[in-house]
Amino acid sequence: MRGRVLRRPRRKRRFKMVSKQLTVTNSQGFHMRPATVFVNAVSKYKSNITIKFNGNDVNAKSLMNLIAACIKFGSNIEVVAEGEDEEAALAEAVQLIEAGLGEE
Amino acid sequence: MLKGIPVSDGIGIGTVRIIKNKEVKFDDRVIPENEIESELGRFHSAVDVFCERTKIMAEEMEQSVNPKEAEIIKGHIQMISDPFMIGQIEDQIKNGTCAETAAENTLNQFIEMFSAVDDELTQQRATDVSDIKKRLLRILLGIEEIDLGSLPPGTIIVTKDLTPSMTTEIKKENINGIITEKGGITSHSAILSRALEIPAVLSVPEITKILKDGDSVIIDGKEGDVISEPTEADKQKYEKARVDFLKEKEYLNTFIGKDTMTEDGYHKEVFCNIGTPKDAVTAVQKDGEGIGLFRTEFLFMDRKAAPTEEDQFNAYKKVAETLGGRTVIIRTLDIGGDKDIPYMEQSREDNPFLGYRAVRYCLGDKELYKTQLRAILRASAFGKIWVMVPMVTNVYEMRQVRGIVERIKTKLDKEGIPYDKNIKVGAMIETPAASLISDILAKECDFFSIGTNDLIQYTMCADRGNADVAYLYKPYYPAVLRSLKTIIENGKKEGISVGMCGEGARDPMLIPLLLAFGLDDFSVTPTSVLSTRSCISKWTLEEAREVANKAMSLPTYMEVEEYLKGIIRK
Repeated sequence: MRGRVLRRPRRKRRFKMVSKQLTVTNSQGFHMRPATVFVNAVSKYKSNITIKFNGNDVNAKSLMNLIAACIKFGSNIEVVAEGEDEEAALAEAVQLIEAGLGEE
Repeated sequence: MLKGIPVSDGIGIGTVRIIKNKEVKFDDRVIPENEIESELGRFHSAVDVFCERTKIMAEEMEQSVNPKEAEIIKGHIQMISDPFMIGQIEDQIKNGTCAETAAENTLNQFIEMFSAVDDELTQQRATDVSDIKKRLLRILLGIEEIDLGSLPPGTIIVTKDLTPSMTTEIKKENINGIITEKGGITSHSAILSRALEIPAVLSVPEITKILKDGDSVIIDGKEGDVISEPTEADKQKYEKARVDFLKEKEYLNTFIGKDTMTEDGYHKEVFCNIGTPKDAVTAVQKDGEGIGLFRTEFLFMDRKAAPTEEDQFNAYKKVAETLGGRTVIIRTLDIGGDKDIPYMEQSREDNPFLGYRAVRYCLGDKELYKTQLRAILRASAFGKIWVMVPMVTNVYEMRQVRGIVERIKTKLDKEGIPYDKNIKVGAMIETPAASLISDILAKECDFFSIGTNDLIQYTMCADRGNADVAYLYKPYYPAVLRSLKTIIENGKKEGISVGMCGEGARDPMLIPLLLAFGLDDFSVTPTSVLSTRSCISKWTLEEAREVANKAMSLPTYMEVEEYLKGIIRK
């Protein structure tokens, strides 16, 4: 049997941190317009929201960092939210990305 | 004559005005502790002024250019309002750096980041950030911005790079052309000059040094030519070209929003060929009456695993909705051994174009095909979608595809998922085999769409990429014309709709023949919609039939081509 690595109990977090992996499906990826739509929508949440992509943690409320990350159509990303409204933040972020970030 | 990248069609004749972006210089200062609050205040009010001015610019632009381009400028507000970036600048000011240096450092960092990415669109954003930086520094330093609004009529703007903030001030009636040292077909300069309908040639090396203020110059926005110090003869030649261009454009614009009709009132349709959901927007803008070919390969390329049903469904639905009830013909995956797709099991083939590709591959990888067909069927609830099967050579292939479609329908019914129960399934006719059996194929298809590019290649056995045999790759060979006639007539005999989605559909030499044979819809690149509609409107069926009879009687392609050149109507 593959043994499970026992972890030292961590310091208790206040929030459990939620995340979801998904693929970007809008043709422009996180370029100017779609990224703006995204940032404007998630900025209202208090949680920290991060997009993990290509080994980097990108601040999802920073338009400039999102553009620099160059997340394209077909990119596999993980959205992570941590904070008091993390569930709602993650749900909206995921829903937006899945719906194509307002792209026409 | 100098050469550049042509990005906005038209001829511009005028007087050079070099626009230099004055270097913004300032002295770095250390801010003493007790002034940090006021320095932060100075920075924040500069950002406020920036946003306010930009908002006004965007509003003006919405009026003078169009809402879409105004969005680029609005994007600058979004960029500068990035809380992360503002925080970085504030941190530096709090450590005693002056606002100018702090802003320059941080913005430069993003310019570097954007430029380093191997992606054209991201690199272009570096131009935006650099524009933002210059404007913000000017506001901090109290330097007036460049005023392009006061340029006199007949000006040709010559500059290193046209920034979005510069273009908002341009009065298009005064500017006859734009020449830059930087930028490509998708740059801001290009998009904006096209939106403003100003002829533009970009990426002309050293042009700001070669030309001087007051020089006379001509630019050709179609060919990418820049003629400095033109002779009288040049001026006359290009003046004529300019007037002709404007006349033709004005004339073609009269076809916007009109039905496509032959001169004697037979109704036809001009559709568009597209490759992504974004192209669908262009197709609608260019007045396409539907989508005659939606290539789905983009969904399958550049990725590690096949797209999910949901990915595909969203893309198809988006196009269907963009077209708002007008026909969208989706071509199922048309791919084979000549393209490398890691997750598809393809082996190297000696003859990929005669190999395991298109419908052959799809019928061999049924899971992949079912996923695509199910996504298409689901999307059919949101518009008028037809399914087109590529590279059909026999009736059995159509039966197999239709069988799969029927089984998916049954499943969708069970699951209670909506779809268009009468969805049309048709064949792309692009092989000699399909052409030869088009009479029996027509009985098992809801429509035909002729792909001329492959049909010519397969009929003439000539690879158009091979220069030695390229002379054989022409639609004017009697073999190709006979094939076209057979396909269209057999389709019409069975009462199904017959379209064409290859280059041939917009060829003014072929259009009368296609009309004579009975073609229903002509699917072209979005920019050719109006010229195709115009050409169709010039023919009565009787005249077209006369031309077709004559063309079909000629034995060599030279004679056919020569004859058809003489009958062109635009």
